[in-house]
Amino acid sequence: MFEYALSVMIFLPILAGLTLFLFPFSDSASRISGFIVSIVVLFLGIELFLGFSGSGAMEYAESKAWIESLGIRYSLGVDGISLLVLMAGAILFPMVFTIFSTRSKGFYANLLITQGAMIGAICATDMVLFYIFWEIMLLPIFFMIGIYGGPNRLPATVKITLYTISGSLLMLAGLVYIGVSYHEQFGRWTFDIVELSNLKLSGGFAVLAFFMFMIAFAIKIPLFPFHTWLPDAYTEAPSSTTFVLSAIMAKIGVYGVIRFIVPIFAIELARFAILLAFAGVIGMMYCGLAAIAQKDMKRMLAFSSASHMGIIALGVFCMNVQALTGCLFQIAAHATSTGVLFLFIGLMEERMQTRNIADFGGIAYRAPIFATFFAIAMLASVGLPGTSGFIGEFLIILGAIKFSGFIGFLAGTSLIIGVCYMLWMFQRVFFEKSGEGTEKFQDLSLSEALTFLPVILLILAMGIFPQPFIKKIEPTAQLHIAEMTMMAQKQLADTRLPIVVDTHQKN
Amino acid sequence: MEHTVTYLGFIPLLPLLGAVVIGLLHMFTCKKTPLPELFYGALACIGPVLSFFLALVVFFQLKGLPAEDRFLTHNVFTWFAVGDLHVDMGFLADPLSSLMLLFVTFIGSLIHIYSVGYMAGDENFGKFFSYLNLFLGSMLILVLGSGPVVMFVGWEGVGLCSYLLISFYSKDTDNVLAGNKAFIVNRIGDLGFVLGMSVLFWAIGASGFDYLSLKANVAGIPPGVGVAVCLLLFVGACGKSAQIPLYVWLPDAMAGPTPVSALIHAATMVTAGVYMVARFSFLYAHYPVAGSVVAWVGILTALLAAIFGMFQKDIKKILAYSTVSQLGYMFAGVGVAAYSAGIFHVFTHAFFKALLFLGAGSVIYALHHEQDIWKMGGLKEKLPKTYMTMLVGAFALAGCPPFAGFFSKDEILFSALATGHTGIWLIGVLVAGMTAYYTFRMIFLVFHGTPRVQESFDHAHEPPAVMTVPLIILAVGALFAGFLNLPGIFGGNLNVSHWLAPSLLEHHPHVSVWFELLAIATSVAAFAIGITLAYKKFGQGATEPEFTGFAKFGYHKFYVDEIYNAVFVQPYKAFGSVISRFLEPNVTDLHIKLSTWLYQKAGTAFKVFQVGYVRIYAIYMVIGLSLMSLFLSQTIK
Repeated sequence: MFEYALSVMIFLPILAGLTLFLFPFSDSASRISGFIVSIVVLFLGIELFLGFSGSGAMEYAESKAWIESLGIRYSLGVDGISLLVLMAGAILFPMVFTIFSTRSKGFYANLLITQGAMIGAICATDMVLFYIFWEIMLLPIFFMIGIYGGPNRLPATVKITLYTISGSLLMLAGLVYIGVSYHEQFGRWTFDIVELSNLKLSGGFAVLAFFMFMIAFAIKIPLFPFHTWLPDAYTEAPSSTTFVLSAIMAKIGVYGVIRFIVPIFAIELARFAILLAFAGVIGMMYCGLAAIAQKDMKRMLAFSSASHMGIIALGVFCMNVQALTGCLFQIAAHATSTGVLFLFIGLMEERMQTRNIADFGGIAYRAPIFATFFAIAMLASVGLPGTSGFIGEFLIILGAIKFSGFIGFLAGTSLIIGVCYMLWMFQRVFFEKSGEGTEKFQDLSLSEALTFLPVILLILAMGIFPQPFIKKIEPTAQLHIAEMTMMAQKQLADTRLPIVVDTHQKN
Repeated sequence: MEHTVTYLGFIPLLPLLGAVVIGLLHMFTCKKTPLPELFYGALACIGPVLSFFLALVVFFQLKGLPAEDRFLTHNVFTWFAVGDLHVDMGFLADPLSSLMLLFVTFIGSLIHIYSVGYMAGDENFGKFFSYLNLFLGSMLILVLGSGPVVMFVGWEGVGLCSYLLISFYSKDTDNVLAGNKAFIVNRIGDLGFVLGMSVLFWAIGASGFDYLSLKANVAGIPPGVGVAVCLLLFVGACGKSAQIPLYVWLPDAMAGPTPVSALIHAATMVTAGVYMVARFSFLYAHYPVAGSVVAWVGILTALLAAIFGMFQKDIKKILAYSTVSQLGYMFAGVGVAAYSAGIFHVFTHAFFKALLFLGAGSVIYALHHEQDIWKMGGLKEKLPKTYMTMLVGAFALAGCPPFAGFFSKDEILFSALATGHTGIWLIGVLVAGMTAYYTFRMIFLVFHGTPRVQESFDHAHEPPAVMTVPLIILAVGALFAGFLNLPGIFGGNLNVSHWLAPSLLEHHPHVSVWFELLAIATSVAAFAIGITLAYKKFGQGATEPEFTGFAKFGYHKFYVDEIYNAVFVQPYKAFGSVISRFLEPNVTDLHIKLSTWLYQKAGTAFKVFQVGYVRIYAIYMVIGLSLMSLFLSQTIK
């Protein structure tokens, strides 16, 4: 049974979601069954994490022939790159079933399908399979924002859908180009990512295909200036959906870059790395600055999330082990901090019927447990040592310094930008005098506290004992960087392109 | 030689555990039935006191080792290892960190005890002690960390506690703003720290990123890079230790409870920057250019803060500026490579400044939260113990022989002179005079003369023993601590300097006795002039003057806060608004707007062909079929 763990983690939620759609379950029954399914996935995820050896290769691999005429296979696997993204997708979901008042059956069905599709996209090692899950992922999101979202949900839904679909179409075109190129060079069809990394692409078409993929991922991450769908979508989506979007879906964008672009387009990436790195840091600064001007807490956090994603993406473009490992670690850390903050804001909205920062105040006195939890997640989000947020941010800045001193300096300003808007928000929401509305603010109930406690503990555990996590992801990061360096050097000999790759570290 | 001891990790761990336990207890009980204060107080004091005893154990164990071999380590676990970067959660006790350890735990314990009295009756009594324990634990991580990254953990930890404790009375917006300011300004410094650490790592960190390895590999660092690392790290020090241009947060930090001002914003945390420079003396000693920058920034800060201190009327603000000023002295000391002199001043300053703050706390406590010195007067009859102990502190701060501050400050000034930094020495002497002036201005106005507000004078009473006993102990320290490092000219042999020598890279310049005597005489003269001026002006009851001209300029701190606000804060906020109101909706997604516009235009363009007449469509069909036939006939042939 355990050798099919990944398939179970993908199809159990999808099937459960479809079952909910087809049969007349009551709203609360669908909530409970969704919770049970997500708990099963959670345990499978934890088992998988504990059993993961961290050798650097694909583990838990499954592979079955699927569309043989085109060499498309149903193949899955986990390595250090996907491990923590997978964990975020597997273990965070039960929370959205336990907090908040009950929503309708369709909402829970959509949530389940999203989870299955996300895990599928993370585990797929065949590009076509990845693409299919990537597309399925979008559908339930479309419904969740469009049907269950806030008052301005429709423009937000149209925006996110058009944005991501155009990205997907570009990627599809790129995918066809890659498949055909492989067929031309090797005389057979395959979309296996390991095989595809043997491709030798060059010339204008390669650059074009590179940008097709890059834009698709850049929209998902989102990388500046493709982020403009994000504030609207994050604000209008129900809080549990926003949580899923920021904690997991955005990470799949970064993951896609590492998984597909780094091995296949190593040369192009090395050539345009500096450009992309600038997009990352400028996005971080731009969204961080925008965050301070927001009056709506959720919108502020949406900008904050986009700001962090800029730094996380930067970790990929610096092309050294430290930055890449930092990026992979930060993917999980960010899900536990900013992701959870979205849930907290959802709770506050449910209690107060408002998200306006000005309507709050003095919550720290009314709800000490809630305030403490919120503060810990917030401190992780601003990267305080001892919380999960520090390790990744530090490694990325360290790596960025190696890549380019100037980029490193700009990346470092995130230390300052983050605290500016976060502390000011915290002051107005949790400190100062309580207003009429917050006078009766309820502290976390037992079930809410129990829901959040594991994540809060995880934030601290990842900050104090990060090595057990890093140990599992670092070998793959090493391997990835080594392969990329090798390819880049090979090309360097032929073309003398100006390539910035870390070739000095011996490991 | 086995250097590993397994109890070092407990020194920071004990207060941290205390913080967690007290924090949890407070969190779950504060809304129902708060636990008794004495229980929290006792729980809070256990950690610091035990840590102090462990610090003594460390000290004596180090003392038993031969001088060149004096270090103990404890690597608790591998914190993270990525590529060449290997960071252990490790601790290092050597002469330098053990000295810091001793006074931090000692003064920390005293202030915990004092706070039990001072905070009595506060609704957040438990929270306060949880934060205070958390602070002490972080400070001990900072001091004991075996490498820069672990130091940074403590560095940020104390910053967090500083923020939490400054905004402790968080119902008042001004207090929270002061806390935010402290955190954000410190973060600006932290940027320098992180960048400096990163550059240092890429230069020589690959074969071990802890102090001992870095020290061994320091020769491999290119000169330009070395200076850059020193200056970047110093930016961090400027933030934490309130030096120009990042000093602005410290005076505002006085919004916190007074014991916090004594512990965090006078005795321990703010000296972390000086400690860092001394810790990296193996680096700074190689780059006199960087050292000079440190020294000049330090002495100019000392001067600026002394000017501000002369015109303040809030007793805590006066002490805050005097702290900034004294920190400037310390940087001047470590800047001219007199590391042990700088650290010795950290040590003595901790005693007399904690004493002065706690004394001020007693005054504030006695007068029911009155902080304006122009509303005090004649208090020496009402608060004799507070008066006597504060007087000792004042003499120490003003640099009167033989009080502690005299020896340590003199050592710095003398080192500046002996290493040829005459300008720094001259400014230093001037500041010494100003220090004596503003310190005794405060003493005379608070304790001498006649009461200015009769009502609060009548109600004033000496605080309980739990508060006065720590004052007396600190006063003993302020009186005698200087003798620990008595220079040869007074018959001593620089015990502290010799103790610190294995940790630091410094040379003691040899100069003639007359030269030394001259330097001492100048310092004493500066003190005498300062105190005389203060006595003439404030000794026999003075009335509050109207500030005009330069005094007004000084009272408003040269309007630096207003300038920063106009130059940095407001534009920052405005830029945020511009982005979210204008750039974001109109400019940033121009590429999206352009493509939708193109899409629509293309639709309009194709609309031309959709005319709706069957005959036109028939023509399209004929054209299409002809083209296809043409194509087919060409390809088949």
